[in-house]
Amino acid sequence: MGDVVELRPRAREDFTSVIGMMIALGAWAMMFGALFFMYAGMRSHALMWPPPGVPRLPIGLPALNTAVLLASSGAFSLGLRSLRKGERRALSAWLAAAAALGTTFLALQVVVWRDVWASGLQPSTGAYGSVFYGLTALHAVHVAAGILVILLVLVRSLLGKYTEHNVMPVRLPGMFWHFVDAVWVLMFVSLYLL
Amino acid sequence: MEQHIHPEPKAFIWKYVFSIDHKVIAKQFLWTGLMFLALGGTLAMMIRWQWAYPKTAVPVVGALFLSHTGGAITPPTYTSIFTMHGLIMIFWAITPILIGAFGNFCIPLMIGARDMAFPKLNMYSYWMFFASSVLVILSFTSQLGAASAGWTTYPPLSTNVGAPGWGQTYMALAIFATGVSTIMGGINYIVTVIRYRAPGMTWFRLPLTIWGMWLTAILNVLFVPVLGSAALLLSLDRLAGTHFFVAGAAVGIQGGDPMLFQHLFWIFGHPEVYILILPVWGIVGDILSFFSRKPAFWYKGSVFAMIAVTVLSAVVYGHHMYQTGMAPLLGLGFEMLTLAISVPAVVLFVNWLNTIWKGSLRLEVPMLFALGMVFVFGAGGLTGLLLGTISTDIYLHDTMYVVGHFHLTMAAASFLGSFSALYFWFPKMYGKQMDQNLGKVHFWGSVVFITLVFGGQLVAGYSGQHRRLFEPYQYTYIRHLAPLNRWTSFAAFALGATQLIFVVNFIKSILMGKKAEQNPWHVSTLEWTHCASPPIYHNFDIVPTVVRGAHEYADPAVKKKFGRDYLDQVEPGLSAVDEDSSAGMPEPEAIGAE
Ligand SMILES: [Cu+2]
Repeated sequence: MGDVVELRPRAREDFTSVIGMMIALGAWAMMFGALFFMYAGMRSHALMWPPPGVPRLPIGLPALNTAVLLASSGAFSLGLRSLRKGERRALSAWLAAAAALGTTFLALQVVVWRDVWASGLQPSTGAYGSVFYGLTALHAVHVAAGILVILLVLVRSLLGKYTEHNVMPVRLPGMFWHFVDAVWVLMFVSLYLL
Repeated sequence: MEQHIHPEPKAFIWKYVFSIDHKVIAKQFLWTGLMFLALGGTLAMMIRWQWAYPKTAVPVVGALFLSHTGGAITPPTYTSIFTMHGLIMIFWAITPILIGAFGNFCIPLMIGARDMAFPKLNMYSYWMFFASSVLVILSFTSQLGAASAGWTTYPPLSTNVGAPGWGQTYMALAIFATGVSTIMGGINYIVTVIRYRAPGMTWFRLPLTIWGMWLTAILNVLFVPVLGSAALLLSLDRLAGTHFFVAGAAVGIQGGDPMLFQHLFWIFGHPEVYILILPVWGIVGDILSFFSRKPAFWYKGSVFAMIAVTVLSAVVYGHHMYQTGMAPLLGLGFEMLTLAISVPAVVLFVNWLNTIWKGSLRLEVPMLFALGMVFVFGAGGLTGLLLGTISTDIYLHDTMYVVGHFHLTMAAASFLGSFSALYFWFPKMYGKQMDQNLGKVHFWGSVVFITLVFGGQLVAGYSGQHRRLFEPYQYTYIRHLAPLNRWTSFAAFALGATQLIFVVNFIKSILMGKKAEQNPWHVSTLEWTHCASPPIYHNFDIVPTVVRGAHEYADPAVKKKFGRDYLDQVEPGLSAVDEDSSAGMPEPEAIGAE
């Protein structure tokens, strides 16, 4: 929304929450950053990665899942855009879509875990299995938390709590959701592709 | 920017328990922190007892908690004791007292805000901390003993192999939980200072205390998550059977790497030492100026020095790992960056000395503690040079010298700084005066015995005594150090006993201290000049407009016009004509604090 708005008190308060959220996500990024650091350290010390004899990870289903999560993020963005235009019913619809896509992601993730587990790779198989299950599980926890938050926002949206003058309670969870999505893209690329 | 005024809660539970008032939360952190300080101190006394009289019954505490061995400390109990002592002192005593209590109390009051930016988050931060405290206590009650892998929690010691049972797991989770609390607090501090400074409170008019707290909050938000990650991965190793840090025969060739934990730990761990000292530097910078009745010497220099230390602290962690087979070139880089920290540290130090130079020193209790901090920090900083240098560190690493060094900087300096703050802001917090004479006894006892205890450790380490030994004197080359250790222990017991004077003073003053004036120290910052003692619920009825920095002292023209030697941060001050007469001041550059 490229248009210039005057900084009303509400807008200034909103700005404060956005700064707070950005700092919080910065802290979160450091946490995930440390996990990637650990992963990079593990890989750089390994003679071969993946180690010999370890089953290969699938690529097709995780790729599809990445698309699902990206779509969920997109749905959330469209919901926020609708709210800014004052279309409150559309907001609820997009939020429901975002939550549904997020849940689909989790369900498919469970399928991936099950397949990989069945193929013989387990957390206790050593560093490789630890990294795979550890990173994806910590991310999945964030997705689950995100879905709960979206459902909460959805309920409040259905109750008509949000107007185009009060978008912050939708925008802040959105920032978190996009962040979780971005982390997943990094994980997908570094765990499955590289 | 103006914050709206929340209605004051009336019910006890919202007023004192789940309060969103930063002043109440500050007191909650203070009390919890002091309790843990007592607990951590008791554990320290037990370590010192073991080193003075190995394997004999510990008086009092032994009868209470170690009855199954007749009161003596066994090797597993001993490892638990020094592990829990370190973790408790760092995360559950100094952090909550210095950052939780005084960060919360001072930031809104000193910048002219009505509360933190996110008061509810502030409340969650305390209760998260409380939850982590419960986990600490649970660790003590666990069947196989409390955590025992050292405060650094290195694997393989901290894996299920090295430390079986729930004690270590509880502590890993507790570290994670207290980390979350710290991050929540940090977000609040950063945003509050950015957004809620009173009109006219520019960045270079902020008291140094606020700069210290703000920079610490930034380091917390950046690096505590890294510790959180490490604690989380360790917990997964312990609970979910992963092998991030488990290597060797137990897992075969595809095991994890315990060294990675050390990296993650010290990426956090080095900033942590500055996290615990930056607020102290800020507080001491202010208090030295206030009680010398002089402007803080080269205020901007101190600010930039603190910023420089904050930045450098992020890139020196390797100096904790010289002994781990690190590439020599990398070690050299870490060595140079580490020694580079001396430059801003010396800037701060020289500024402190110049601040008190030729000042009219008022040696009241907060000032004494601030001067004590300058002394022990100087000693601690100088001994650190030998550890930052690889060639000397190789000899001194893992000796008592390291223990003496980091206790002087992290423990003694933070301890004296915290007590400087406590004696200074106590009248504002509780609206009561503390007994100054008891305070002085507390100070002299603390500073003398601290020097003896940690000085004794430096000497023992330099003579070759390894740290953490259960029974050092079983080695012939250490045996002759037994008398030194015993005397060090006596000093430690005296240090512990001295703290009882504080306990008496603190409780007595809260219950029946004399009522404090609004500005008993006659200083210039907002919390003293524009808030009652204790402040009202929303701090300021009208948020004042600030016109100058926090260190406006010793101007003869001000003395002539107002009959006192300082200007507060708000009052109009001298007219333009009168201001010219201040041109003959001894330190004109320091007056440019605005
Ligand atoms: Cu360090």
